[in-house]
Amino acid sequence: MNECDVQMREVGRTVRIAVVGIGKMGLLHACILNALPGVKLEAVCDKSALIRRLSNKVLHDIQFVDDLYRLTALGLDGVYITTPIPSHFALAKAVYSEKIAPNLFIEKTLASNYTQAKELCELASVSGGVNIVGYMKRFSVTFNKAKEMLGQATLGRLSSFQAHAYSSDFADVRKGSTSAGARGGVLSDLGSHVIDLALWFFQDLKVESARLKSSSVPGSEDAVEFEVMGPESLEGNFDVSWCLKEYHVPEFGLTVHGDKGNMTVSDDEVILEASDGKMKKWYRHDLGDNVEFLLGEPEYCQEDKHFVSSILENRKSQPDFVTASRVDEIIEQVRGRINIK
Amino acid sequence: MSQKKEMVLLVGDNPFHGISHLSQQRSRARSENINDPQYCSKLVLTSLDNGANGFMFSVSETTLSILKAIRRNRGNRNMELYAIVPYAYEYVRMATQSGGISGLAKQIAKKLVLSGNIKALATGFKGLISMDPESLLKSYMLYEISRIRSSAGKSANLRSVFLHEIITEMAISLNMHWLFDCFIDFASTIGITPGFETRNFVFLMNKLTEWNIDPRKVLIATPFNKAGFQMSPSREGCERALAKAPESNVIAMSVLAAGYLKLTEAIDYLGTLSNLKGIVVGVSRENHAHETFQQIRKTYE
Repeated sequence: MNECDVQMREVGRTVRIAVVGIGKMGLLHACILNALPGVKLEAVCDKSALIRRLSNKVLHDIQFVDDLYRLTALGLDGVYITTPIPSHFALAKAVYSEKIAPNLFIEKTLASNYTQAKELCELASVSGGVNIVGYMKRFSVTFNKAKEMLGQATLGRLSSFQAHAYSSDFADVRKGSTSAGARGGVLSDLGSHVIDLALWFFQDLKVESARLKSSSVPGSEDAVEFEVMGPESLEGNFDVSWCLKEYHVPEFGLTVHGDKGNMTVSDDEVILEASDGKMKKWYRHDLGDNVEFLLGEPEYCQEDKHFVSSILENRKSQPDFVTASRVDEIIEQVRGRINIK
Repeated sequence: MSQKKEMVLLVGDNPFHGISHLSQQRSRARSENINDPQYCSKLVLTSLDNGANGFMFSVSETTLSILKAIRRNRGNRNMELYAIVPYAYEYVRMATQSGGISGLAKQIAKKLVLSGNIKALATGFKGLISMDPESLLKSYMLYEISRIRSSAGKSANLRSVFLHEIITEMAISLNMHWLFDCFIDFASTIGITPGFETRNFVFLMNKLTEWNIDPRKVLIATPFNKAGFQMSPSREGCERALAKAPESNVIAMSVLAAGYLKLTEAIDYLGTLSNLKGIVVGVSRENHAHETFQQIRKTYE
């Protein structure tokens, strides 16, 4: 019996979680987790004194701490790291080295670069427990439908694909503003989701070329286009931007071409166009999209349930650190091509 | 359909914000007119002429401009206003561009000061000094209500203010009972009905019971549609909870499942629900406004 089994036996069926970093994503996961049956949000760790002071007044049965090490004594089952990307590496290392919890969820991306990502994979392998990175698009019903059809070779032999990730987050940002840079660049923040989807769909990709388009300040990573090669001469193109108008809700999508037809998939729908001209379309509504607690999109709840059930059943979750580290690898290859460190 | 009762029929504002939960592509393909407050105000007024009682909207610069246009063109039409605060997309975007939740708090404080609303400022100042969340909530509500009144006119009939689903879901999941009590008390003191928008109707109803809050004192806006779209945990669960509700206090939203259902399908399904207080539907074209509200009104006459 491993350490995780012992811990689960001690806590019975209640999985006790802490969230580190109470920004937009931290708050979202905190709410969903606390609403799930058999899960208790035990503590929140955030370094902002203002947020801690206010949170202490508004949330009465959750502990607020300013230091990760103060979570050590709580006997947690899992920790969510939802801080800005540059802090993921140090925090994850601390969670493992201090044995704060055996199971770890890290919001995407796994780390700031591929070297750190590989180190976290090794640490996770030694430490055991469940580990997962928050690429929640894998839990979307539309992308799952697309994956299923690709698995059944519905499109036949694949020749090419186009992938996009667009948002309006910085569409109106003034020239010279550094606010976009503070988010770590569009590849990690937005593009990582669609890179993960492409890796999930096509297994193996290698960057061939890349171009940067800066909007706010020269050299800032606001929009990137890049090309990849996949298995059996599959050619892929990615277009990623957070400066486009009319994408107030971020949008992710892929169009895949094969010798038996084409498929277009987005957050909202899957469209299959067979080479004989027949067309079929599925909306979210057609694919069974109800969840226990709906906040944001249903995939967030599905993702959290997957992590919790993996803990309870002591099985691997996906995308684990090893799988997710391949996104960091692709991002590093793209940045290498456009000379961004 | 056998049901004959007075329904609250509201025109919703999702199309005016460029939102389509069916497909973002669809929202981008909508007519450019939808960005024009004059055009949107005409859609609201046409809806009123065809059976709607009022307008349900998230409080944003877009809808405030529409309210100003309605005020100029309304004539002697009666119209009830059902506001939703905060407008989540605007605030999430503000947080993104201003460096997270702390940056967002500073932006809101700045807007509050610039509004010059003395009552809201005084309450907010008190809340800030003592870190009193109830005072901060009241201050924010006063600020939003003053924005509505200054756009819609002092004579506007503001029937209800709803907490946006993000706030409702946060409060019910994190057991923020105080927030519900505070909001209900505050709304009552200023003579409006407190409302809660949610996509977790069953969870909310269970919380109201747990917190000993009388559901008859509040309004609830939540999805009800034949497709079960955005009905958590399930369509059947929501229908059972609605049937058990003590009085009609539920306004059905997403009734067309974001355009997935035909109007007749939607109306037929709504007719099977015996405990609804009202329906809110968004329209993006004049003929939609005519057809939608005439058909629904006819059904419930």
